[in-house]
Amino acid sequence: MKGSAVELAIGPLRQMRRSLIGWSIGLGALVAVTVAFWPAFRGSSGISEAIDQLPAGVIEAFGLAGFGTPAGFLRGNLYEFIVPLLMAVAAVAAANGLTAAEEDAGRLETYLSQPISRQSLFIGRTVALAVWLAILTASILLVQLVSDAAVGLQIDAMRVVSTVVLCGLLALLFGTLAVAVAGWLARPSVVLAIGIAIAVGGYLIAALLPLSDVLKPWSGISPWKWALGGDPLVNLAEPWRYAALLVPAVTLAALGVAGFVRRDVRAA
Amino acid sequence: MSGTLASSAPGPDASAQTGVAIRVVGLVKRFGAIEAVRGIDLEVRPGEVFGFVGPNGAGKSTTIRCLLDLLRPTSGSVEVLGRRPRRDGIDVRRRIGYVPGELRLPERMTSRQLVTSVGRLRGGLDEAFVDSIAARLQLDLDRPTRDLSSGNRRKVALLLAFAPRPELLILDEPTSGLDPLMQHQFLAMVAEARDAGATVFLSSHVLGEVQRAADRVAVLRAGRIVAQGTVDELRGRARQRVEVWFAEDVEDLKRLAIPGLEDAVLDGKRLAATLSGPIDPVVAVLAQHRLASLVVEEPNLEDAFLDLYGRQP
Repeated sequence: MKGSAVELAIGPLRQMRRSLIGWSIGLGALVAVTVAFWPAFRGSSGISEAIDQLPAGVIEAFGLAGFGTPAGFLRGNLYEFIVPLLMAVAAVAAANGLTAAEEDAGRLETYLSQPISRQSLFIGRTVALAVWLAILTASILLVQLVSDAAVGLQIDAMRVVSTVVLCGLLALLFGTLAVAVAGWLARPSVVLAIGIAIAVGGYLIAALLPLSDVLKPWSGISPWKWALGGDPLVNLAEPWRYAALLVPAVTLAALGVAGFVRRDVRAA
Repeated sequence: MSGTLASSAPGPDASAQTGVAIRVVGLVKRFGAIEAVRGIDLEVRPGEVFGFVGPNGAGKSTTIRCLLDLLRPTSGSVEVLGRRPRRDGIDVRRRIGYVPGELRLPERMTSRQLVTSVGRLRGGLDEAFVDSIAARLQLDLDRPTRDLSSGNRRKVALLLAFAPRPELLILDEPTSGLDPLMQHQFLAMVAEARDAGATVFLSSHVLGEVQRAADRVAVLRAGRIVAQGTVDELRGRARQRVEVWFAEDVEDLKRLAIPGLEDAVLDGKRLAATLSGPIDPVVAVLAQHRLASLVVEEPNLEDAFLDLYGRQP
């Protein structure tokens, strides 16, 4: 039983190897190229002054506060939006590729006709997603830390670790949301649409609602707020933020398993 | 996984006691408004090769996927090797080798990696046996599954089904895409598995194959079983073409009064007709006349099948 449990996670992970390498190189390059601009940016005070002219709401919405500092530079260019969003998209795509897309193509049938349970197959694939994301997160973190050191961008490494890990957990939450949908419905297009729409919607809620005094309290419903609302590059993130992402992620995965054991497996 | 001790359901030996490898009672499966299976009753005995015949869309794959708990019946019950697939799926599937009808192999791996992966899920496969099956099927295990032709993919699926030496082989259109030589090889493998004590549930729309391999056959049409019996029984139900040349002119066909003959055409000394019943009474009547020649074409399963298929439900 042990060998088969390991195989149910390792097997799918092996098949996702190429996409993992692709996303790691893409996001790593984004981080490295962005950080490479830091020395030039640090020298010119013009941009910081220009940003200071913007309304306070806009600065907050686009994460531009303290743009001239290392933390503000990384937040505004990478960790306010683009890196967590791309990681979320990667997670949703990977989750879909491990579950709904494989089932829809009829490629799960070979495994489901073996002496394994539906739940162990689905749990194995969810674990594969988590490991896949952990490796992606680790590679982004590695590139970030090495790039920082290379160009002399001085920032507390623990805050960088915390920020990238929170981005990884945020992506895991959207990935497990895709898993939950796939558990109940083997339609890749629906899984992708719901996963990405909620990831982007969550960002818009976190970024735009604070612009209105009336709507501002509601921005707290967005997981983006839970992950990055405390500005983790400046203030070391509180422990509850990790739990606030991890607990719903596990719950969503369980929900997906509950669906998958109850319904028909889709034929090719 | 259940190693049930106190259970009201039949234990693993129940199939031997009740003499049933597969029992399907009143199986109905609906997909939304479509009723794919409309009340099937079926019994497959241990050690037999059972042919499951019908045109595409008759409900063969739907029935089979219920046996593996890939689908959940809308109503009715399914029992495989004395157990219920829904509750004891792991145990049931451990004893089954399955070739899916709509075959899609996992990609981004070679056939050998797939066999290894499946082997891990099954707690190991006999490597020498795997290699011998691959050699028989002329299958190169080191090619990526993605690059394989449909025939070669089918061979990989056959390999995966036969390699664990299962008690029950459930084969859904196993030879589609195989060349005649490989089809022959496949029939030999089925015969060997049966000789070794396995039960084989063989779905096909290739009737010749079923006729050669199966002991008993069920014919499925539009979600219902329209005939069930041994190959010989089914053949017996088929209409035979009868052609009689009398030695002298026969004036009146009615006076001949041959039971069971249909669509009879008398043309001088020649009588052509189809026979749907036993041939004995016909011979009895014909024996009272002088005949020049008598031709009775042996019916094959294909005729029986077309007969049943042509009949309105």
